[in-house]
Amino acid sequence: MRVMSHTPLMFDVMFASTNSVALVGVEARTVSMEAHVGGGEKGRLNVVGLPDTAVREAKDRVMAAMAVSGYRFPARSVTVNLAPAYLPKSGSAYDLPIALALLAAAGEIPAGACNVVALGELALDGRLRSARGGLGAAVVAARMGVPCLLPAQAAAEASIVSSADVQMVGTLASAVSAALGEIDSPPPPRPARGEADLEDLAEVRGQPLAKRALEVAAAGGHHMLLSGPPGAGKTMLARCLPGVLPDLDRRAALEVAQVWSAAGRTRTCLSQPPIRSPHHTATTAAVIGGGSGIPVPGEISMAHRGVLFLDELGEFRPHLLDALRQPLEEGRVTIARKGASVTFPAAVQLVAATNPCPCGFNGNFRQSCTCTDRMVQRYRRRLSGPLLDRFDIRVQVNPVDPDAMMGPPEEPSRQVAERVAEAVRAQEARGRRNRDLARRHLDAVEMATGAERLVEGALRHGALTGRGFDRVRRLARTIADLDGSERVKEEHASQALVLRGTP
Amino acid sequence: MSHPQDALIRLAHVGMHPDRLRERVSMAGSPAKVLRQIERGDLSVPVPAREAARVPAELRREQLRTAGIDFLARDDVRFPERLRLLPDAPLFLFQRGRDFGGTAVAIVGTRACTTYGRRLAESYGRTVSRAGWSVVSGLAKGIDGAAHRGSLNGPSPGIAVLGSGVDVWYPRNHRDLGESLLEHDGTVWSESPPGARPLGWRFPPRNRIISGIARAVVIVEAGVKGGALVTARIALEQGRDIFATPGDVGRSSSLGCNLLIRDGAFPVLDADDLLECLRLVIGEPAAEPVDTTHAPDAAGTGLPVAEFLPTLGTDPLVAMTELGRMVAAGMVAIDGNGLVETLAPSPARTGP
Repeated sequence: MRVMSHTPLMFDVMFASTNSVALVGVEARTVSMEAHVGGGEKGRLNVVGLPDTAVREAKDRVMAAMAVSGYRFPARSVTVNLAPAYLPKSGSAYDLPIALALLAAAGEIPAGACNVVALGELALDGRLRSARGGLGAAVVAARMGVPCLLPAQAAAEASIVSSADVQMVGTLASAVSAALGEIDSPPPPRPARGEADLEDLAEVRGQPLAKRALEVAAAGGHHMLLSGPPGAGKTMLARCLPGVLPDLDRRAALEVAQVWSAAGRTRTCLSQPPIRSPHHTATTAAVIGGGSGIPVPGEISMAHRGVLFLDELGEFRPHLLDALRQPLEEGRVTIARKGASVTFPAAVQLVAATNPCPCGFNGNFRQSCTCTDRMVQRYRRRLSGPLLDRFDIRVQVNPVDPDAMMGPPEEPSRQVAERVAEAVRAQEARGRRNRDLARRHLDAVEMATGAERLVEGALRHGALTGRGFDRVRRLARTIADLDGSERVKEEHASQALVLRGTP
Repeated sequence: MSHPQDALIRLAHVGMHPDRLRERVSMAGSPAKVLRQIERGDLSVPVPAREAARVPAELRREQLRTAGIDFLARDDVRFPERLRLLPDAPLFLFQRGRDFGGTAVAIVGTRACTTYGRRLAESYGRTVSRAGWSVVSGLAKGIDGAAHRGSLNGPSPGIAVLGSGVDVWYPRNHRDLGESLLEHDGTVWSESPPGARPLGWRFPPRNRIISGIARAVVIVEAGVKGGALVTARIALEQGRDIFATPGDVGRSSSLGCNLLIRDGAFPVLDADDLLECLRLVIGEPAAEPVDTTHAPDAAGTGLPVAEFLPTLGTDPLVAMTELGRMVAAGMVAIDGNGLVETLAPSPARTGP
């Protein structure tokens, strides 16, 4: 856009600049690629502006791709500056914008071709390879009101930003044509709208207690702990949860997609709340986020506005479980590294599954446990109290008896999701999800006399502790929401006592 | 004014090992002479023990009265007859709770028990107590505690024989269990003076009291080392009938019981089986057995919540509501395993 001459003649034009994007956390920042063709040694390309190795290597790829595509490299030295210079830039995605700025500065193409946001790695034969950050590029392009040139996969990711003019390009030459508006590139493929690979509650036979727990968890956003022997269906239940959660609205879907994009991943079903289930051997950096240089989001951020499922909770490193506590509290996670300190969103619903003991059969009727009490105690001590406190819902899942397995499909997730959506609306009308109700909010919850008497009785009999008292009131509020009741009634409080499990 | 028991009370508070104390008293001829030996230094005991021996009997009686502890000398009428007949009968017992005058069955086992053992011990305890016999055990962790806990679900008073003083609960988290036992008209005995800490050497001698008071001894789970097998050996010497619960052949915590069965102990299976065996050995219990068929807790105890719910109704929501009401009313509790446990109805739990 900032071009000194409009005549495409060799050596006349000295300077041109185009735009691309750098991700700081999940935030897309505009970066400019400035190219200057000056005097001095012939055929030299200098890249400045805090590039990493991959960016510095861009000059070789750009020179080869230009030659193959039929453009001439200027016979003078060229300087490429990535501005602002203080932002660290990494990756191979800046090949295309560098090439466009360079071509315009050299007078090979009209200056209008630079008025775009571009992203993409160049192959030596001039074709474009996909690169990370497509979504961020579209966000920047929409902000600037210019076209956005992206290779295929990045374009698909960017299509969620409906206000951006995203053009899918395959080669350097086609990118130039698209930038000049000479060809109408095919619209990028929309990401699949279909159901992602999830379980449906209709396939879960029996288990009325666990299903009710799941519904209440979904409705109130409560963290849930499932405990039971291997093969009881804990994992299947957890994988049902996203299907009963309300769909993400556009803003939320974009938020999630941006986190995924920052992690170099593309979401297939945008409106569905994500579910992430890291293995228990995962490192703290993989789950919380981190990495060297510029931090990348971890699993907890990829599960933003969705479900973080930790199977075999007791097997995770204690250090990692402790590190989860703060993000769970704050809904975001801040990671400081040498390159930058960034904050990723991490508002997740935590679902955890655990065996009751090392062999898994403690408390089971049909198979006896072979662990000693001491082994069981040690196993349980691994779960720290403060973390366990986060789980409003704790239920035991037992294997279903074979008769129920043969039964007809049960209520599908879709129907449950309708009730959940209704309850969520009621909470949003009050201003916050029930998971986030603090004691002062809970004290304001209207309870029927019967409910109050029931909870008082539980406190008196030692069935409730102070902390358990709050958890029961939170759950009771959600159960009342599912019931469409403004007041917490006695039966709501009573069910909450069962879902909460131990005192 | 002196009392014939004065010397014995003072000597009892010295806290010597029961075997050594008995030996000394029989050698010297009387407790008073042993006290004089301690005073003169002929019998060496730790300094605090020596000072304890100097406290006058009247003050000791006053202390015991304040603490609600009875002192039962061997010739006291309240001293249990079965214990008096033992060759190594205790010279005295410290006692809290009611005087015991019934028939007792000992249920003992390892402290490092499995859930399998604990559940069995609980159901044995319950069955024995409901049949009208008292459960006697050591209030230890594991099997002992479970047996006591189970016995609280029946009408018969239980007996706990401690290695520590009768006012020192060990392990500490068995305090509630011990207090419930006392509230249940139960009895707590020890040969150690009040305040005595649970030192390792105090435990083997108390095992002879557990098996001594019992008509039969049930070993639920035991390794090859440990107190439970010691109790079994002593019980054999005392001529008690031994029952043992078989366990997995490869499991170390069952090895002791399996060896006992190989060596001739009666194998017992479930609680009903135990009841039948005990009837053969002891005879019909004096008390009227409690009808357990419509006891409110009989079905629920130890069932997982998910399996307990159908017993309360076909509609899961209605059943959950009902269970919640039972929890709030203190009738049942959901334990760490998600099992519905029946709570012992005790005065402490019903509150104001």
